Amino acid sequence: MNGVLTQNLLVFGGILFVIGMVGFLTRRSLILMFLSLEMMLSGVSVNLIAFSRHHQNYQGQILAIMVLTIAACEAAIALALVVSLFRRKATLDIAAWDELSETLVPKAIEVSITLTDPNLAFPKLTPAGLDPMSHPISAHFDDQSSAGGERENASMREAGSHA
Amino acid sequence: MNLAISTPFAPFARLADVLSDITLMAQALPDASTGQSLGQSIPSTWTLSMLLPILLGAIGYLLIQQGVLNSRPFFAGGVIASVIAVVIVAIGFTPATLESILLMGFCVLATGGGVGFLVAREPVYAALGFATVVLSVCGVLFMQSALFIAAATMIVYAGATIIIFLFVLMFAQQSDLRNYDIQLNRPLVAATIGAILLTTLTLCVTAENAVFAATADLTRPLSLASLPDNFISDAGRELSKKLEAMEPGQSIVPKSTAGLGRSLYTDYLIAVELAGTILLVATIGAIALAQRTTESQS
Repeated sequence: MNGVLTQNLLVFGGILFVIGMVGFLTRRSLILMFLSLEMMLSGVSVNLIAFSRHHQNYQGQILAIMVLTIAACEAAIALALVVSLFRRKATLDIAAWDELSETLVPKAIEVSITLTDPNLAFPKLTPAGLDPMSHPISAHFDDQSSAGGERENASMREAGSHA
Repeated sequence: MNLAISTPFAPFARLADVLSDITLMAQALPDASTGQSLGQSIPSTWTLSMLLPILLGAIGYLLIQQGVLNSRPFFAGGVIASVIAVVIVAIGFTPATLESILLMGFCVLATGGGVGFLVAREPVYAALGFATVVLSVCGVLFMQSALFIAAATMIVYAGATIIIFLFVLMFAQQSDLRNYDIQLNRPLVAATIGAILLTTLTLCVTAENAVFAATADLTRPLSLASLPDNFISDAGRELSKKLEAMEPGQSIVPKSTAGLGRSLYTDYLIAVELAGTILLVATIGAIALAQRTTESQS
């Protein structure tokens, strides 16, 4: 029974690892690729814990703690890298950093897809306040508010009563 | 139940032979040391029919990732394929005790979260899927009596996930989806590679005797014998007595976090020190990397 449980958990760990790998291969955003890596690591942790339970000792758990530590280090470094890479090119696309990749491999054709949902409905909100198009705020708002603040307030009150 | 190797899977027969050889060699090992074997062989409840869910899962993933963009029928077909895969696996769990049902539920939740993570185009939803995966895995670990690791994983990954949420909100606003979020990078190739890898893993793991019989290694988990007498507390002495008196089939599940800590700080002290060093180096490195070089810009 214990062995069967171990086998099932090993398969589960494999599933997690494969999901992480597929995510790493398909995802193109730096952050999501990093999350895929973390998912692969959690699959490995499941494996280690399953063996720890199977052999009734602490070695697997301790190895899992080490994996957790390294994952934390990796998270810190990876997020710092993401920040500094984003500062350079203002994009999270991994394809923006393929200068070192092979030139023989043809690049994936960039198809611009737009998400169109026919049932997309925006909520209807009652407009509040002044319409900024008809009542533009001047650049010298502070000067005006000190000088003609009363007048502004009056017009605002008027518009509010109309609405 | 044997892993029935039929003709289409003939290449794997050789693999199974090699595996059984390795297993036999490894099973001979505990007799040489002081460990004792708790069980003889582990029958496999997994058959080749279990490979069908992998195929269905891959197809389901492909359909869902295509259908989540603009096609409802694709999405529905993918969901149906995944559900069928889960049902086939669930039938394999024959002794349906409460524990196995709970474990199965956690596993299904984690896998579903993972698929959601794979197919969600909005980064925030993908991060939510990742959080689902991590919490479900923590449930699985909790049920495997790895209490400390479950708690630590929850804390570390929950903190990391919140940071990821912040990053997603900073960098990738949900209002305008970028092209690199919408378009996946060759999902068909990735799904094929993943299916092949998972098939191989499943075959290796579920082959007869692929998992070594459980051994209680009396030398390693608490190497109390190697410690001077004043290092060992009364509890430790009792535990070592229990370990020595243990009979085959008897289990001392390492349930206590205290035992884990004792093992961590006696047997693996150098590893702990090294881990601390690595954490320090990583902290310094992260700060150095993320620092804005204002002098060179201005």
